[in-house]
Amino acid sequence: MREFKPLPAQPAPVKTQGAVAWLRDNLFYSPVSSIVTLFFAYFFIKYSIAMFDWALLSADWTGTTEKDCTSEGACWVFIKAWSQQFFYGSYIESEIWRINLSILLLLAVIVMSFTLPKNIRLKVTIPAFLLLPFICIAILDGRILGLTHVKTDLWGGFSLNVLMAAASIIVAFPFSFLWSLGRRSDMAFIRSVSIIFIEFFRGVPVLSLFFMGSVMLPLFFAEGTNVDKLIRVWIVLIFFMSGYMAEVFRGGFQAIPRGQYEAADSLGLGYWQKILLILLPQVIKVSMPNILATFVMLFKNTTFLLIIGIPELVQTLQTALSNSYWLGGHTLEGYLFVFAVFWASCFSMSLLSSHIERKLDTDNRN
Amino acid sequence: MFKEKTTEEIQAASRIAGTSKGAVYNNPRYRAWFYQLAMMLGLLYFFYSIISNTLGNMEALGAKTGFSFLSAAAGYDVLMSLISFDATDTYARIFVVGFLNTVLVSVIGIFFATVFGFIFGVAHFSHNWLIRKVAITYVEIFRNIPLLLQVFFWYFAVLSALPGTRESLSLGEAFFLNVRGFYFPRLIGEGGSWVVYASIFVAIFGVFFLKHWAKKNQEKTGEQFPVFYTSLGILFGLPLFFALVTGFPFTIEYPVLKGFNYTGGITVIPELMALSLALSVYTGAFIAEAVRAGIQAVPHGQTEAARSLGLKENRVMSLIIVPQAMRVIVPLLNSEYQSLVKNSTLAAAIGYPDLFNVFVGTALNQTGQAIETIFMTVVVYFILNMIISFLMNRFNSSVALVTR
Repeated sequence: MREFKPLPAQPAPVKTQGAVAWLRDNLFYSPVSSIVTLFFAYFFIKYSIAMFDWALLSADWTGTTEKDCTSEGACWVFIKAWSQQFFYGSYIESEIWRINLSILLLLAVIVMSFTLPKNIRLKVTIPAFLLLPFICIAILDGRILGLTHVKTDLWGGFSLNVLMAAASIIVAFPFSFLWSLGRRSDMAFIRSVSIIFIEFFRGVPVLSLFFMGSVMLPLFFAEGTNVDKLIRVWIVLIFFMSGYMAEVFRGGFQAIPRGQYEAADSLGLGYWQKILLILLPQVIKVSMPNILATFVMLFKNTTFLLIIGIPELVQTLQTALSNSYWLGGHTLEGYLFVFAVFWASCFSMSLLSSHIERKLDTDNRN
Repeated sequence: MFKEKTTEEIQAASRIAGTSKGAVYNNPRYRAWFYQLAMMLGLLYFFYSIISNTLGNMEALGAKTGFSFLSAAAGYDVLMSLISFDATDTYARIFVVGFLNTVLVSVIGIFFATVFGFIFGVAHFSHNWLIRKVAITYVEIFRNIPLLLQVFFWYFAVLSALPGTRESLSLGEAFFLNVRGFYFPRLIGEGGSWVVYASIFVAIFGVFFLKHWAKKNQEKTGEQFPVFYTSLGILFGLPLFFALVTGFPFTIEYPVLKGFNYTGGITVIPELMALSLALSVYTGAFIAEAVRAGIQAVPHGQTEAARSLGLKENRVMSLIIVPQAMRVIVPLLNSEYQSLVKNSTLAAAIGYPDLFNVFVGTALNQTGQAIETIFMTVVVYFILNMIISFLMNRFNSSVALVTR
């Protein structure tokens, strides 16, 4: 009689869940992968500890002058001392509430455009947006409202980047809409003028536009008219943006199903009724991610203003770095701070843009 | 009965429309003419007033007009020039100097931006979690920081922190890196060197020919030929062979420390380094996004099909995925390259003598002829962008989906 011999037990299944399995699948799935992981991890840990120590543990946080920076680490006192300049430029100190008010107004209109009931949303927010730049200029300048006059050479800092970008894209909005209509028009002359305009402003380096604004534009005005430099650059930025935004809207128009055009026609709507009531709301909706992307580009490009001597944030940083009371070499702190400010703004806008994109995506899924 | 009547009605209606008795201003054709005429008149008035204002202002300022300034001596020197230049040369020559510098920084920028873009774009699909995160971090950081800040960062924070001339970082007494620039040896050809140059050309053509032949051969017989290693062999072997045969007709000029600076060899000034670094890192982030989008656009079934045919992982990428992704990537590359060329005008911020800096910056200041200088510069950027667009469209049609 044969003795019963059970087969050896099968090995336990390799874990496919849990932390260990994740580590094996994502970090150590092959010898090469393990080496790469260890290599990156080593550098990451090494430098992040040093960075952490420099930026937080052994940094100077309190004080008001260069002398308060005694330790080996970062000198955040520098940022603190210059923070008002960084955000408001040389704007008169007692009048800074006017900049805050302008930015609050901007934020209020933006919030309105997301929260108002849908039946009045576009009717209220479009006029509000279009009036906003002029209201802000009136507040900041002050003469019309009977406040102290603050000359534009005193405007500066990060608030100038924000307001300049916002004011340009808002005013460019209706123009770009017209240009995109012109480009889609059946009328040959209007179409070719639109194409030339759009392609010119898209094809020219933005810096040369700034130079046109600061050097060439004064020649175009009638003799004796003196238009402020900031206003001239604003005009040029509006032209620049309307070229880019026209293409964004053209994409939007193309994304609207043909049936919408035909439905509007069959309802007997006229051209402008069709455009404004049926197409515009849909075009704005589908172009929203691209509008935001264009805005981010414009916002980053406002830093170029420093080349024609307008004291926006980067220019203010350069001034601060070469200030004779702060010659302790705060280049790294300064750049990291300005990096962080711009990065946070641009990254949050790109997150918003992808959020809108996802939302739109589910809307269209039938 | 019912149907007949409707047809009649429709015909009647169309007759009325054909011989419209409606008001002229309601006729779309006349309206179109009217709008276009109005626009034309508006534009004519606009340009007339601009031109007359400009002429009036110029007269009042006593400014000169025209392009005669181009033949006048410039009277200033430039930091870096690919052709010989000194202060007695004309504005026309300085225009060429600036143009060449712009082309140089654009070519360097485009090359490295493409390299960075493809490395980080493909790294996004790595199996390794850390590499994926590194790729995402790279894209999200450098895409969202203004280019000007990046240029300043490399120039003022990184390159100016390099050691001084006497403490240069060096590699084997031939390559030196210090705060004044990057120095490397230069090959100077002598008598028989044209043979070697010619052999390089022959090698390049030979590689193209080989590639073509290998493809034909594989289609005919199914046999694969190791094109890559053979090409490498031809590209390096042939010039080396001729260099040895002709007895190495070159002298190598090493950079040598003389006084306060290195002389000899080739110098890359820090302005050029900072600008091309910033341009390639910034544009590389955008290209990485384009590459990622392109690869994501290829259906996953393609990967699975390729694997089931028994292709190895790297061949799946290079033979199946990337060629299909190129259809999405190339149009995006086109616009990224164009914006890189336009962004190279930021040279003005750190003083690299590109076209914009030497012409719109300095020449405009000296001659006061804003319209002429800006016009000439803008035209050059237009032409450069048109060349890029033309080349990329040619490339695009070669990667586009071929349908029967």
